[in-house]
Amino acid sequence: MDRKSVKVVVAGGFGTGKTTLVGSVSEIPPLTTEEVLTQASVGVDDTTGVEGKTSTTVALDFGRITITSDVVLYLFGTPGQDRFWFIWDELAQGAVGAIVLVDTRRLGTSFPAIDYFERRGIPFVAAVNRFFGECLYSEEEIRTALKLDPNVPLLWCDARDRSSSKKALIELVRHAMARLPVST
Amino acid sequence: MTYDIWDGDDDGEAGRLVPLYILVNGRTTPRNTNLDLATQVIALPADTSRLEQEYREIMNRCSGWISIAEIGAYLHRPLTITKVMVDVLLEQGFLGIGAPAQRKIADRRLLETVLAGLERL
Repeated sequence: MDRKSVKVVVAGGFGTGKTTLVGSVSEIPPLTTEEVLTQASVGVDDTTGVEGKTSTTVALDFGRITITSDVVLYLFGTPGQDRFWFIWDELAQGAVGAIVLVDTRRLGTSFPAIDYFERRGIPFVAAVNRFFGECLYSEEEIRTALKLDPNVPLLWCDARDRSSSKKALIELVRHAMARLPVST
Repeated sequence: MTYDIWDGDDDGEAGRLVPLYILVNGRTTPRNTNLDLATQVIALPADTSRLEQEYREIMNRCSGWISIAEIGAYLHRPLTITKVMVDVLLEQGFLGIGAPAQRKIADRRLLETVLAGLERL
């Protein structure tokens, strides 16, 4: 059947505004789905301090945008805890790409996400969330601090603002298209 | 495997006592490995009266196209269980499936459609 799903991943460290961004452009209030992590992941995930637990629940927030009668875009926020990489793998598989939210007060929280998408060759844009107040750094300074590849778009956004989040999405799709091989 | 769906009667006064993994015959992964959390499904015309309540709840959510992630969210079921249950319903012809999310998006026309849709928002 010709019903297509398109995925976009919204990543960034804890508290960078992922769910806020999802909520600002989604046509439904963000939903939460849960993945249960069981014993099988012990040794893979860091379970220090929670040795007695046999399962952990990881919550995923997501939203949707109906593009046409056949195409729906799903926006998935990555889990708050960086260590659940197998969930990132599931989210990223087949995704158009990712928006990595950046909080300039805590640039380091965005490193794991940038590293993740870079290594896998998944298109992404870095979006500095202005929600946290005036940014004291120039684009160049942020690029340098994040060690961003010159080809990766860096933009400013306010995750609470629908049109701003929309712009970030558009930028990502354009970037993903630019990286496609020339069509035959 | 004769029964893919639990067919016993255990709805006592205390409610269901069967754990969810029994409902999926102890399966831990769907057979259809293309099932993605964003894959959309839809109910096909079928008699659902013999389905277990948990499966019927899924069917009731699928009168229009809906993703596996949404089904899990609305029914408060873990994603993996939802995926396996949807897979069972697909196998038995209760649900139809949309295009799986592609492994590598290299579909320029699809991206153009998405871009145009976003610009219209």
